[in-house]
Amino acid sequence: MTDTVTLTIDGKEITVPKGTLLIRAAEQLGTIIPRFCDHPLLDPVGACRQCIVEVEGQRKPMTACTTEAADGWVVNTHLTSDVARTAQEGQLEFLLINHPLDCPMCDKGGECPLQDQAMAHGNHHSRFVDEKRKYDKPVAVSAQVLLDRERCVLCARCTRFSDQVSGDPFIELFERGALEQVAIYEDEPYESYFSGNVIQICPVGALTSTSYRFKARPFDLRSTPSVCDGCSAGCSQTVQARRGQVERQLARTNMAVNEMWNCDKGRFGYGHLTADTRLTSPLVRSDDDGEEPVAADWATALTRVRSILAPDGEVVPTAVLSGGRLPDEDAYVAGKFARTVLGTDDVDFRTRFAPASEGDALAALAGRDTATYDDVEQAGVVLTVGLDPEEEVPILYLRLRKAWRNTKARLVSVGASSGSLAELLWRRLPTDVGAEAAVLDDLARALDRDGDDADQSSPMVAEVADALGSVDRPVVLVGERAGDGALAAAGRLADALGGKVAWVPRRSNARGALDQGLAAGLLPGLRRHDDDTQRAEVAAAWGLDELPTRGRDLHEILTLAGKGKIKVLYLLGVDLVRDVADQRLVDKALRRATVITHDIVANATTAHADVVLPVTASQERAGTRTNWEGRRQQFRPGVAGPQLVQHDWEILVQVTGMLGHDLGFTDLDGIRADMAALAPIDTTPDWPAAADRSDTAAAADDGDDTLTADVYPLLLDNGVHQVNAPDLAATAHDPHLRLHPDDAAPLGVSDGDEVTVTGGKAELTLPVRVTPDQAAGTVFVPANSTAPDQVDNPRHLGDRVTVAAVASGSATADQPVEVNA
Amino acid sequence: MGTLGPVTALSTRYDVDRAWDIDVYEDHGGYQNVRAALDSTPDDMIQMIKDSGLRGRGGAGFPTGLKWSFIAQDTGKPVYLVVNADESEPGTFKDRPLMERDPHSLVEGIIVSCLAIQSEMAYIYARGEFGLVSRRLRHAIEQAYERGYLGADVFGSGKRVDITLHRGAAAYICGEETALLDSLEGRRGQPRLRPPFPATHGLYGCPTTVNNVETVTAAGYIVGQGPEWFNQYGTEKSAGPKLMCISGEVKRPGNYEFALGTPVSEMIAAAGGMLDDRELKFFFPGGSSTPILTAEHADIPYTFEAMTEADSLLGTGALMVHSDKTSVVETVYRYVKFYEHESCGKCTPCREGGYWTAQVYERILDGRGRAEDLDLLADISNNIFGRSFCALGDALTSPVLSSLEHFRDEYEYLLRSAGRLPDHMQSVRTATANEYLERNDLATAGV
Amino acid sequence: MEFLGPILFLLLVVVLVGIALNTTVLGRGMAMPLRQMLKKPSTSQYPEQPRPVTPRFHGRHQLNRYDDGLEKCIGCELCAWACPADAIYVQGANNTLEARWSPGERYAEDYQINYSRCILCGLCIEACPTRALTMTHDYEFSSDTRRGLVYTKDMLLAPAPEGAPDTPHRDKDVRERGHNYYGGKAVSPPGLHGGDHLPATARTMSRASQVLPMAPESEADWGDAPGREED
Repeated sequence: MTDTVTLTIDGKEITVPKGTLLIRAAEQLGTIIPRFCDHPLLDPVGACRQCIVEVEGQRKPMTACTTEAADGWVVNTHLTSDVARTAQEGQLEFLLINHPLDCPMCDKGGECPLQDQAMAHGNHHSRFVDEKRKYDKPVAVSAQVLLDRERCVLCARCTRFSDQVSGDPFIELFERGALEQVAIYEDEPYESYFSGNVIQICPVGALTSTSYRFKARPFDLRSTPSVCDGCSAGCSQTVQARRGQVERQLARTNMAVNEMWNCDKGRFGYGHLTADTRLTSPLVRSDDDGEEPVAADWATALTRVRSILAPDGEVVPTAVLSGGRLPDEDAYVAGKFARTVLGTDDVDFRTRFAPASEGDALAALAGRDTATYDDVEQAGVVLTVGLDPEEEVPILYLRLRKAWRNTKARLVSVGASSGSLAELLWRRLPTDVGAEAAVLDDLARALDRDGDDADQSSPMVAEVADALGSVDRPVVLVGERAGDGALAAAGRLADALGGKVAWVPRRSNARGALDQGLAAGLLPGLRRHDDDTQRAEVAAAWGLDELPTRGRDLHEILTLAGKGKIKVLYLLGVDLVRDVADQRLVDKALRRATVITHDIVANATTAHADVVLPVTASQERAGTRTNWEGRRQQFRPGVAGPQLVQHDWEILVQVTGMLGHDLGFTDLDGIRADMAALAPIDTTPDWPAAADRSDTAAAADDGDDTLTADVYPLLLDNGVHQVNAPDLAATAHDPHLRLHPDDAAPLGVSDGDEVTVTGGKAELTLPVRVTPDQAAGTVFVPANSTAPDQVDNPRHLGDRVTVAAVASGSATADQPVEVNA
Repeated sequence: MGTLGPVTALSTRYDVDRAWDIDVYEDHGGYQNVRAALDSTPDDMIQMIKDSGLRGRGGAGFPTGLKWSFIAQDTGKPVYLVVNADESEPGTFKDRPLMERDPHSLVEGIIVSCLAIQSEMAYIYARGEFGLVSRRLRHAIEQAYERGYLGADVFGSGKRVDITLHRGAAAYICGEETALLDSLEGRRGQPRLRPPFPATHGLYGCPTTVNNVETVTAAGYIVGQGPEWFNQYGTEKSAGPKLMCISGEVKRPGNYEFALGTPVSEMIAAAGGMLDDRELKFFFPGGSSTPILTAEHADIPYTFEAMTEADSLLGTGALMVHSDKTSVVETVYRYVKFYEHESCGKCTPCREGGYWTAQVYERILDGRGRAEDLDLLADISNNIFGRSFCALGDALTSPVLSSLEHFRDEYEYLLRSAGRLPDHMQSVRTATANEYLERNDLATAGV
Repeated sequence: MEFLGPILFLLLVVVLVGIALNTTVLGRGMAMPLRQMLKKPSTSQYPEQPRPVTPRFHGRHQLNRYDDGLEKCIGCELCAWACPADAIYVQGANNTLEARWSPGERYAEDYQINYSRCILCGLCIEACPTRALTMTHDYEFSSDTRRGLVYTKDMLLAPAPEGAPDTPHRDKDVRERGHNYYGGKAVSPPGLHGGDHLPATARTMSRASQVLPMAPESEADWGDAPGREED
């Protein structure tokens, strides 16, 4: 048995792997057989019959997109076979009889496979003189996607995508015969996070986008390859701009990362570039406090920054909070700026309060060969820890789903919830919020014991451990929300299994910030602050005698700022008010400290700032971004951005100059050269050891009636990408709480009922979904949600919350969220 | 009431009162075939089917024994038998009377077939409109369960056979075996991609065979009474008796049972000859999807091979006879409309080709035909034939292409006359529709 | 005979001058104005009396309207695509229920021709699928600024026909009017709900004949519309 077959296509011999479809084999010879329904990432369907070829010895001509190449076959395509050519012409004629000739109106005109293939393979004259099928012109299948059924050739690419790839088949084919049509169910709009992909793969103009409707033609769009900054997936995308304005974003094929897909947030989330709230000039608060900052020129703003940072020529105690969105170069510059110019190691790229051990675990992670998308697909068993992939890193969810569907991968979730992944899970190991590490340690122990002593761990843990042990390279994916010690425990588990681990943060370049050492104790190139040689190496490269002493993390920084010990908070695109869990701490810090912030769009924190410096968005600049895999991808500017806006690194270089220092570079190449001098060292630090959890395990079940709040934002929230993108925002899932049936039963609530969550000083009321995926004793609350009139930030609920059913009738329908501060 | 004729093989109990009741059925020799089957091995039974020369009665005429031998055994998955009772080919009405009058013979056939293919589960996919069929079958299945003929311990043999009756929703495409399986699974009834074939990946991805009602019933008799009993009828390559549905312009349309190989003219004579002694003009030998034949083919024997030789097909045994009073173009248009309406829409040629063909016919019959339309029709059909996903597209082209071949002059006449039929023809578009209905009543009364 | 002398002398002079005019370069040069002095002058009295141009003269563009005042331009950008000089800028937009500029879904929100680039080749006219863009006989549109050579939609759009309202129209009025566009191939499309798209669940389907009566036509000339502008 060989793994290849040799066949002849149009007289040319070719050897391809067994199972290769004829249409792909022909592609390898450079013969493009026309096709509509065929798509390399969708199952063959053979619906459009466009790709007919002649195979010698076969009774009928065959569709190249469904037929696997067989040894010794002689295949003749339209190039050499009259049968194939006339069959293809015939199918095109069939497709065109009911296709309206409204190409001039159609958004697809100019980039339309039907147009192109009709020109290349069709007859020039139509013999159809009868009546075309008529439907209402576009109907909305969602706020983002319009459907023009007249144009549809019923190739079923969209319905197959939603069924096979994204797994949310909201759209289906209805009716039959010539009246067959794509449609949605009566009461369910096409609310998929991946709906934009069906627009891109539609081979005609049947599915078009509301946001791109009549905006441009392909020939007047300037396309720039780019990398999405919506999350840490790192999707390749194409930014298409006209007259300096982004008109459309498409998924760009990158089989290693996003294959051919992206999510709607990445596709449609560019409205903020031109939003009214876009920061287009520096804002400076006048000295008498209390008023909103007002527009100023750069000279004023930078002078003000200097007087804030170094009022008397000496730099005052300052902390740099960088967020997880800065590209690698800017992250490096921010780190160097903080340590050399500001003389502080008080830097943190996180907006959550991380356990002290996380730094060590992250450092251990950064030095390792971490899991990739391909590893996930091939693993066979994937453990997700504290991760809701569809909401946090949607493209990772697609890859997990692909593994589940194509290789029957067994997916296991550890944590309080796994969101929509729940439908695909093989086993679920529910834990309290942040208590994942204990289960991971149990798994490691169960592996050790080799099943002899199974009564020690639960049967399911043993079962999962067996599954993990049964494959060569299982993958453990740890979300950023996973609790104390989870990452280290996952790392130890993966090492014990010979598998791979990865840390899946949410923000687009959190992994890059980690690699650039943007946290206290970490330094660029996997160096550690507590290693004397490595610290000296960095100091030498930066021309310092000694680096500043080890700094503090976010919680300590805010505490110290609130106490006046840290005078200035230098924020690089961080919305503290929205994202940080402790409202009191943030309020105090913002009131006490002077705040300088870089941002794209005005938000609650910029309103508190003393100086606001406008920066370019991802589409307006060049840089490098590191996705959760650790894959570094460069991107180029698609548009220029507003006139007075600068890149983060540019501003930092200028501020450095104002303070009389020199960072040693003035352009991106310079930064990259500087970074190259601190290239990653070859180090594989050990994972931090497991903590002794004997006491905490007992404390977890304290018998009170409070639940643990499981707070994280849904994919489409109130974030920057939804600003000025009404079509995208309209498809956000309704904010809802999630409860385990065991917790819902005592409250007497069921799906859709209103439930009030109270904790800290916050209280909010939302409809609830009762699902066994939510671990008992926890309640999911959407952070930064689109719930209307929301005053209380779910981040401020605190860890322990009480949950109460809203008495029926008291909740008014038009005001689903009731808030009492 | 009378038995079908001239042969009486599968229709022995058609004239028995209450034959649908298990007692009456057993009084008339019922459930003896199963007992014979329980004494033989599955391989023996499949060999008997092979020896009998039974070919599928649902239209394609594939040798049943061979089909059964393809079923993947030992895959660790269950094997399913699916009985295709979605009889909806225009002109075909052989399964319905069988299931209404003698449902136990089907149940018995299913038990035997299940034993032969080592299946424990059989589904009957009955056409949605078959109300009486469903009641009778359900009754028969219940009775069989009560007697222990079905269930966990068939006739005390320790073997299991279950039957589930499923009613379709009246779509012609669900008579196509893979579309039927999709429909049975609760999906849209659209044909599936093949390979993999149902024999390996059928219902719920398990090995499955889909057989016609008449085939399964016949299989029961063959195992019980031996292949020789079966192939005493018919010819060497087309063995066995065949339930025939004779309709159209004959004096006594209805169900008949003939041995295969009987000439069509003899069948027409058995049906009382042509109505009003009209002249035979053309006939569909096996339902509307078989290419039409003309009077000159009336004497060829009704066998698979002879029909193929005459460029037509035996199909389901639905002989539709038309005289010179009938317009070929109008008749074909009716079937084109049927296929256009019943196309599932999955593939381009059938969906769009049917839509287009129907419109061209409408134009021709409306007096708006153009000289080039006849070549256009042939071209459209040729672009459908062999290019469509399943055989429905091919079925659409059969009457079109065959009528163009045999009766092109009639088309040309309509082009010249702006859609007016020759005077001696009666339009089926208007008055005679009722006449047809009346005849159909006659047909059922005659069974 | 005395008087013969001067006459002969004159004749001799004339002959010699004639010979000189015909044989010498200078002479031939002098002969041309002398001959022209005898002919009717052909001076064009431009700009007081501009001369008519040929019927197919490529002059300034015009965006045409239907008889009822709706614009023919659908903002498809095919003219911009065809333009070899990249002189045309079109921005399409969506007609709405309240504001309808053209039949169908799409209209030109902005339309500009830059005459400092335009070479008046007419490829745009050939590309136009609705005969919205034609060329007039106007060639007097020079300017001393570059900005002045950029013609915007309001400058290119033909005035509304007598009695017809200027765009935009209300969709309801257009429907009531029942005017046939595109040679009767489409009325104001049945399902267009402007920016407010009908949700997909309101599914309706029909053959064309149920929407609008259609006479059988041998030629489907999509681009031709009644009231087309002659070149």
